[in-house]
Amino acid sequence: MTSAATVSAAGLTLRYGRTAALDDVTLGLGEGVTGLLGPNGAGKTSLLRVLATAVPADRGAFTVLGHDPATAAGRREARRRLGYLPQNPGFHPEFTAFAFVDYVAILKELTDRGARHREVRRVLEAVDLTDVRGKRIKRLSGGMRQRVALAAALVGDPGVLLLDEPTVGLDPEQRMRFRELIADAGASRTVLLSTHQTEDVAMLCHRVIVMARGRVRFAGTPAELTARAAGRVWIGTQRDPGARAGWRTGLGTFRNVGDPPKGADLLEPTLEDGYLLVLDGEPAEVASV
Amino acid sequence: MRDDRHDGTGWHADIDDLRAYARGELRAPRLWSVDTHLVTCAICRGTLAEVSDPQTLDAGWERLDAELDAPRPGFVEGLLLRIGVADHTARLLLATPVLRASWLGAVLLVLAMTVASVYTSDSPVLFLALAPLLPLTGVALSYGPALDPTHELAVVAPLHGFRLLMTRTIAVLVASLGLNGLATLALPGYGLRALAWLVPALALTATGLALTARLGPVLAPALVSGGWVALLMVTEATTHGMLAAFTGPAQGVAAAVAVIAACVLHRMRDRFDASPVPSPFTHFARRSTS
Repeated sequence: MTSAATVSAAGLTLRYGRTAALDDVTLGLGEGVTGLLGPNGAGKTSLLRVLATAVPADRGAFTVLGHDPATAAGRREARRRLGYLPQNPGFHPEFTAFAFVDYVAILKELTDRGARHREVRRVLEAVDLTDVRGKRIKRLSGGMRQRVALAAALVGDPGVLLLDEPTVGLDPEQRMRFRELIADAGASRTVLLSTHQTEDVAMLCHRVIVMARGRVRFAGTPAELTARAAGRVWIGTQRDPGARAGWRTGLGTFRNVGDPPKGADLLEPTLEDGYLLVLDGEPAEVASV
Repeated sequence: MRDDRHDGTGWHADIDDLRAYARGELRAPRLWSVDTHLVTCAICRGTLAEVSDPQTLDAGWERLDAELDAPRPGFVEGLLLRIGVADHTARLLLATPVLRASWLGAVLLVLAMTVASVYTSDSPVLFLALAPLLPLTGVALSYGPALDPTHELAVVAPLHGFRLLMTRTIAVLVASLGLNGLATLALPGYGLRALAWLVPALALTATGLALTARLGPVLAPALVSGGWVALLMVTEATTHGMLAAFTGPAQGVAAAVAVIAACVLHRMRDRFDASPVPSPFTHFARRSTS
């Protein structure tokens, strides 16, 4: 944790029966975009839901811009400063994009009609949806719906934005557009971006957290994560049995990640290589990418 | 809002309204009327420009643009606005899941079948037993993830959960009790006895909500519904018939239960804001995500 942290968490633990979704998670977030990587079941969604105050942690504490959600007053203040895009955002499909974001603005206590409508216009413009503001949500594409959900999260100009896999299901062009929006959003606030896409992290994030089995396995910069694989990626004519992971490339050679044999032909590592090695020790089916 | 300026094609906005509009001080509903009128009237736009300073005029145009983007109120929303419901409350009500036509149609169908059974069996028992359960079911379904696709967004919003619950509860109660009332009108032969569902309906709904604070939006109404059916069966077995549950003393007991449950609910109001109220299905829903 740093003194400039806008979100600070210590010892967060959340259990579902015998399964620990979060196991003693301690972290600090500052301004900018932080990527949250991890395989399915790593605890990414659980962490975001706890930080969004959607579920209470069984143990541990956290603050959002200095407000402690454990108290009623602190929770309300934290919620006023949080924007949250859930993994499966729900919509009222009969509502237009404008009406839906307007509804969320009311939930965020913007009761003055004029001020609220100006705010709805602002966030729809920010996500480039002004032209379809009058369309019913059920008639919008998946990418547009995700942008509606992002607009809803941006209502009230929150200081902390929690985004749970917002690029899942988007085609490459939509994903690129969404990355631009997230980068814009992170210019002046704290963004925690949960994702499976190491490309998202490489392109967007100034920091990255890797989780597995409810624990934080790595926290640092994308360059530091990539450096974990320095000297541990090599090319060969077959998949090396000692490699942590290996796959045939388009050129017919094999890219191996792990502990290279002597004399191996080493390659420049990528962030994904570093991620794989951080997860080393996890069950193979979980760690495979 | 009209004055006597006239250009041969229509009336115009009052000059004082335009001045207040320019200062950003005009309040609804006159604000909406002037907004709408300015869209079509070049003369009033000219007058507005004369009485405004440039900065406030720009703010006015921005406000007007926002109004043009805003969805036109539908029939129900327009009705709510006309009877004085605040526009933000009207929009919250419109997002109440069980106020949709499909749910209300299903309730009407159930009531119609029940009323028909009263005529064939020559006894109002089935109607009196069922009618109190419909408001309880409607209220239970209006709160929780089962029917509300935006439940999670509502949970993490700063708007107090209890306020949202009460807003929706009142709306659902008005709709449900109204439909029950219509069904009662179809049973004129039973006089006031056909209204004996009303107090039990309030008691069951209040008890269901009070228990929801502890048991969640699925288990609590299920238990209360089961308890009500069990009570009627015990009454049937121990007295001359189920109608004993709808006599004067029984109505008094139901009223007392309703008041006590309402007090308990009020005392537990903060539980609706702290976190999602536990549900037997929450565990499975959470595990489906990482």
